[in-house]
Amino acid sequence: MKLSFLRVSVWVYLALFFAYLLGPLVIMSITAFNSPSFPRMTPWECLTFQWFGALFQDERILNGIKNSVIVGAGTVILSVAMGLAAALLLTQIWPKMRASFYTLIIAPILIPGVVLGISTLVFWDRVARMLGLEPGGILSNGIFLTIIGQSTFIASYCMLVLVARLQRYDVSLTEAALDLGATHTQAFRKIMFPFMRPAIASAAVLAFLASFENYNTTTFTFGEYPTLTIELAQKVRYGITPAISALAFIIVALTVFAALANEANIRRRALTAAGPLVGSAPRSGLRLPRILSGNPAAILLVLVAITVITVVGTAMTYSPQQCIADVREVKQLKAQEAIDALRAAREAREPIQDDVPASEAPSGSGSSSSSFGGVFNPTNLGGTAEPPKAETGFGGVFDPTNLSVDD
Amino acid sequence: MPRFLTEFFKRNGILMGGLMLGLVLFWTIGLIILPQLSMLDFSFRPNLPPPEMGGPKDVYTLENYHHLIFGPEGASAAYNYIDLGVFFRTIVAAVCITIFNLILCYPIAYYLGQSRGNHVRIFALMLIIPYWINEILRAFALRIIFGQTGVLNTLLVSLGIFDQPYDFIRNDIALYAGLGYAYILLMIFPIYNVIESLDRNQIEAARDMGASWVRIHRRVVIPYAKPGISSGCTMVFMLSAGALAAPQILGGPSSLWFTQIIYQWFNDNSNWPQGAAYAVVLLVTCILLVMAAMRLFKVNMGDIGK
Repeated sequence: MKLSFLRVSVWVYLALFFAYLLGPLVIMSITAFNSPSFPRMTPWECLTFQWFGALFQDERILNGIKNSVIVGAGTVILSVAMGLAAALLLTQIWPKMRASFYTLIIAPILIPGVVLGISTLVFWDRVARMLGLEPGGILSNGIFLTIIGQSTFIASYCMLVLVARLQRYDVSLTEAALDLGATHTQAFRKIMFPFMRPAIASAAVLAFLASFENYNTTTFTFGEYPTLTIELAQKVRYGITPAISALAFIIVALTVFAALANEANIRRRALTAAGPLVGSAPRSGLRLPRILSGNPAAILLVLVAITVITVVGTAMTYSPQQCIADVREVKQLKAQEAIDALRAAREAREPIQDDVPASEAPSGSGSSSSSFGGVFNPTNLGGTAEPPKAETGFGGVFDPTNLSVDD
Repeated sequence: MPRFLTEFFKRNGILMGGLMLGLVLFWTIGLIILPQLSMLDFSFRPNLPPPEMGGPKDVYTLENYHHLIFGPEGASAAYNYIDLGVFFRTIVAAVCITIFNLILCYPIAYYLGQSRGNHVRIFALMLIIPYWINEILRAFALRIIFGQTGVLNTLLVSLGIFDQPYDFIRNDIALYAGLGYAYILLMIFPIYNVIESLDRNQIEAARDMGASWVRIHRRVVIPYAKPGISSGCTMVFMLSAGALAAPQILGGPSSLWFTQIIYQWFNDNSNWPQGAAYAVVLLVTCILLVMAAMRLFKVNMGDIGK
């Protein structure tokens, strides 16, 4: 009995945890398809694809993507090279020095990104001045500084990935190649590099993603070349629109797609390695293609692809204009009703107020907190929906009697 | 040429060895050590326009640090309460976020580390996906949720828990949730890696001997997972104390994060030495705190990053 209780609580905890983790992303993605110009999920108004259109017409976003790709490519090359060099050196350095060397090259991960950005900026500014370069030269170029600043800590990530693989490398392979007359460069290119290639590939992907999403360091170094993340931050800080949600949705979809593709690939290899007999016996009439059988990630991948194609197909033909017009009409109707209610309420109240002006004072002054004034008392609303915000500010202010009381 | 260098080049060849050494030296000295020293040096200098740099006025001064502690010259208050207040709030909040994340993530990491099967891979995938989404976009997602007309407020009001929308952003709840959210993965993975290698028989044995559930964790699992826990905590603490995006997007209008003050010195006030001084203070404080915590829990620096 106790065990099952534990089980249930574990699952509840997992569900809550993943809701906290994934919920925000799901909600953000959904807001990309809702028509209000402030990203929101409730109330749902119209299904629309206009925000994707707005996104692709945004020059700054497109320019940011271009800069991000340039910076990402530079960072990948520099940090993979430095990470590989450091990983190789780590296996050769004499043991006494190893711990301090390791601490030194792992430290950039722990240094706050802000500090890295500042130190890069200050240092290269000083170097440029010492060399007598005029401001605006290569050393104060935003792309150069950003690549340098990001590589400082991204190289540490690469180093960690590469060291893990390097530990399984058999040094005698290189020695054998050297004995057979290969030069050191040849030995590296023909023996070491092919062995390290998977790790180098994953380090490169990691480096690119880390560079692409970096904000803290880049915000000090970008100069005249804002990356996508910088542009996004500017947009989010000064007014948010569902176009950002649309971009987020694209990124989420791409990430999920890539993750599933990777997972399916791993699973496919595992299945191939398990031998050709697995799953070869037909059990029922419905048989999945070979790639899909026993590979849930691949099935999911295909489903996601189909969904994306359907959504894009719908977006091409679907027009939300009718729905948006409807919603606008409903809103106008509501506003009109609210105005009518306001007017009716004022007319109904006028004679009463003349008799007892003093009793109006508390509700009049209390209107600042509720902002509904005395006018919006429930009976007056008479079944109309909640009035739009623009109307609420007026409260009972229009009553001449209120003015005299407030004095 | 010293002997170790000759040996090194003999082992790797002149070209490869030279390339390797050059890259490592460029990274360690050119990118890690010199910039940090340069920032430290810069933080002791007055704020001068570029032509006057290196001139007679360019002398070492404690002015920038003085400003952090005592405020500008001739200020009415004895201490710089605003900046110091923000500084302590940042540190304390970062510690709280770290503890919160540890409590939240330990059960998950334990569960993932101890279960076998396909679903663990799927959970791992679900953990990684949010981490590859841009930091800005993650903060943005939380802002949509916590906003005045956001999903959470709509839900709470319609359930009748609050009669008016609650301002999560002004009360910094959105900020803390966002910072916790941002670094969950960095807490889970180190702990998960360690717990995965824990022999299940140890837990079985403890259970057979009659140890309670709490006792198994306190005596067997946690001591074993200590390197993972400390490296997760260190990363989460350092990153949340140094976070800039989440406070800028999710922070209330009246409350600042210390990194935001540094950012202001650099970008809005163009006083780089002052900003550098603040950055040095942040860096040194964080390192000292982490080292103190490591000493307290008896963990080595070498365990970090494993």
